[in-house]
Amino acid sequence: MYVYFYDNFLKHKRYESVLKAMETRLTDFGIAGKIIRLQNYSNPEILVEDEIRKGAKNIVIVGNDETFGQVLSRAASCKITFGFLPIGANNNISEVLGIPVGVDACDVLAKRRKIKLDIGWVNNRYFISSLHIPASDIEIEYDESFRVRSKSKKMELVVCNLQPFVFDGKGQKYVIHPQDGKLEAFLRPVVRGGLFRKEIFEMPSIFPFEEMIVSSKNPFVVETDGKTSKEVKITIKLAKSRIDMIVGKERKF
Amino acid sequence: MFKSNIDEHMENSVLEKKHEETMIDEVETVVGPSVVVEGDFSSEGNILVKGTVSGNVQTGRLLTVESGAKILANVKAGDALISGEVKGNVRVAQKLELTETSKILGDINCKILVVSAGALIQGKINMGNVEIESVKTDKKRPMVRTKIKLGGEEE
Repeated sequence: MYVYFYDNFLKHKRYESVLKAMETRLTDFGIAGKIIRLQNYSNPEILVEDEIRKGAKNIVIVGNDETFGQVLSRAASCKITFGFLPIGANNNISEVLGIPVGVDACDVLAKRRKIKLDIGWVNNRYFISSLHIPASDIEIEYDESFRVRSKSKKMELVVCNLQPFVFDGKGQKYVIHPQDGKLEAFLRPVVRGGLFRKEIFEMPSIFPFEEMIVSSKNPFVVETDGKTSKEVKITIKLAKSRIDMIVGKERKF
Repeated sequence: MFKSNIDEHMENSVLEKKHEETMIDEVETVVGPSVVVEGDFSSEGNILVKGTVSGNVQTGRLLTVESGAKILANVKAGDALISGEVKGNVRVAQKLELTETSKILGDINCKILVVSAGALIQGKINMGNVEIESVKTDKKRPMVRTKIKLGGEEE
């Protein structure tokens, strides 16, 4: 049994035709199912658990990267197979997973090519795509074996899982493998900057890791899957093979 | 149907192998120029050091130490290309290449060594399994000389 979680933005008229075409294709494949529309304050974990109790075997997220992050950051602990039907703009994760945006995603879902995905865990919460700490005076300890600091003190940290990491300026793109058993941390120390000057970053240092502790004397901003918080110390871990996910043949890992 | 299953399985295994290869190639640890690493530092992939590492460095693959970079402890790698400074013993399983800007203050152990003019080394070099056969001389037997004529006939 399939249950479809529709994002709130899909209520807009411009997505009506795509959704209709998708629903027809899913009915043709015989995998149409119950539709749940997510609201701003809905807790996906409770919704998924509830659907599992009712007999659901597959949860399909319909929306964009934000929807994907919103649902899986809460529901990753649920033991069920997840699928993804990307619609509209802001869809980078779908490319990594090899799922085409729009109606063709239904074909991938019907083929049921299932793999296990690694995800990140930060302060009792999962993160799916990436974690970002803007330039701050932070110190990092990796896998309890070595510490990393910047000579200029301030540095930016990006931890990537499914989201491709693209750094400004030269537009270089690193391919991130969610199946490599490690998370990738990109550190960019601030080379120059000030109160009125734009900060200039050094080329990124890259550290694959399984556990990392980021600490600072002053609170620093942490952005995970689009949500922002202020912390003094965070522990980032890898949750190996946490999610059962239906992916496409053209996946990037 | 059975054949198609086998074909699919083979295709999957080939794809998996390909994925593995690309995955290993792309996993690389990079220590930037203004980054300082303190503590023992090991990686399964290639390591590129442009900054300072004060602690042991270990990898089964290629270690590259760029000019201006420093490693202040022992180094263990599969292959190594060193253009910076290393203050500690260097143990490389296969090929160690020292460029003209490199400085090594410690013992070197490797299989193949390439040293460019200008590279500075202070320490012992051990390349293992090096044997030179000594010439055996039999003292009991008197040496028999045969005179050879210019024509090639023996006397």
